[in-house]
Amino acid sequence: MDKQVYELKKLWSNKRQLTFQVLNLAMIVFSALMIWKGLMFVTKSESPVVVVLSGSMEPAFQRGDILFLNNAVHEVHVGDVVVFKIKDRDIPIVHRILKVHLDQETGKVELLTKGDNNRVDDRGLYAPGQLWLNRDDILGKAVGTLRYVGMVTIALNDYPVLKYVLVGLMGLFVLTSKEG
Amino acid sequence: MHTVWVRLNAVVFFGLTVLLGLSCMAALSKVGHTLRQRPVVKKLEMRKFRSLKSHGGVDRALLSFDLDVDLTPAFHWNIKQLFVYVVAIYETNGRYNQVVLWDKIVEAGDSKVLKEKNTFIKYPLVDKRGGELRGKEVTLQLQWDHMPITGLLHMDKQPLDTSSKFFLPTEYQ
Repeated sequence: MDKQVYELKKLWSNKRQLTFQVLNLAMIVFSALMIWKGLMFVTKSESPVVVVLSGSMEPAFQRGDILFLNNAVHEVHVGDVVVFKIKDRDIPIVHRILKVHLDQETGKVELLTKGDNNRVDDRGLYAPGQLWLNRDDILGKAVGTLRYVGMVTIALNDYPVLKYVLVGLMGLFVLTSKEG
Repeated sequence: MHTVWVRLNAVVFFGLTVLLGLSCMAALSKVGHTLRQRPVVKKLEMRKFRSLKSHGGVDRALLSFDLDVDLTPAFHWNIKQLFVYVVAIYETNGRYNQVVLWDKIVEAGDSKVLKEKNTFIKYPLVDKRGGELRGKEVTLQLQWDHMPITGLLHMDKQPLDTSSKFFLPTEYQ
């Protein structure tokens, strides 16, 4: 650790080296951002990857699994696993569609969801007075899953200070690593 | 540099890359499985119609059904469980409706042959507006969702031409 701090101090004196390392860091950050935005565009979803936060879809999905979403689907069918958000609330919920009522003239659809592991459907979770979800409430349909990878996100959520520590450490490494 | 941190960094990121590679291989290993082996639904039909009533302006029907299906062909080593459900499909004035009447989780270690006799539905057949269910034709279709250990989710269903249909009574009973 001291070696890193020493390297950092050495950097300040050499402005050219410093600029190079900062640009290096910027390249990495922007590449990651481009990949994320690219995924958002392809899947037409504001959140193409989500972490499963609750146990309401066990045993299929457990806390800490990540789900890949695709929102570029036109119709949502009964039985699809979807991620939705209740208006004015931040937390995305992963549940399965229980009922679909499609108005053939207007194309508007009304949906009811339920978690596999829950006893009752999600009406109790919706906003007061809201009986159905619309297509707009759906962030995307789950198309794939990876186990346990999301544990990192849950840890970061539960202990926000870890976020700063992690980013700080990564930044430090990139700034002070010497290539060749 | 050969500090502990550099080594840790290398191990962690290499480990994650390997994990990602293995996950992709696991997911790819069973692509096309469904095309070759599909479960066949031997029987899914309504056994006994119990009631059709109007509650608070909304129609609600209760019934029981028989089911006979062997789901073994749908399983392979990357499948953790199958989420199996019975869908009722019906049309009302200008609306196309699909509702789940009954569901079951079949895990990889459970018995994969489902034989339900005169089983009561879990979720009543309710239409969102009143007076809409009387006399309507309902199709029962079995669908199942393959939930992998790692990889892509996909669904399969009983072909509609083998699905059974029944008519709801024209009067409340």
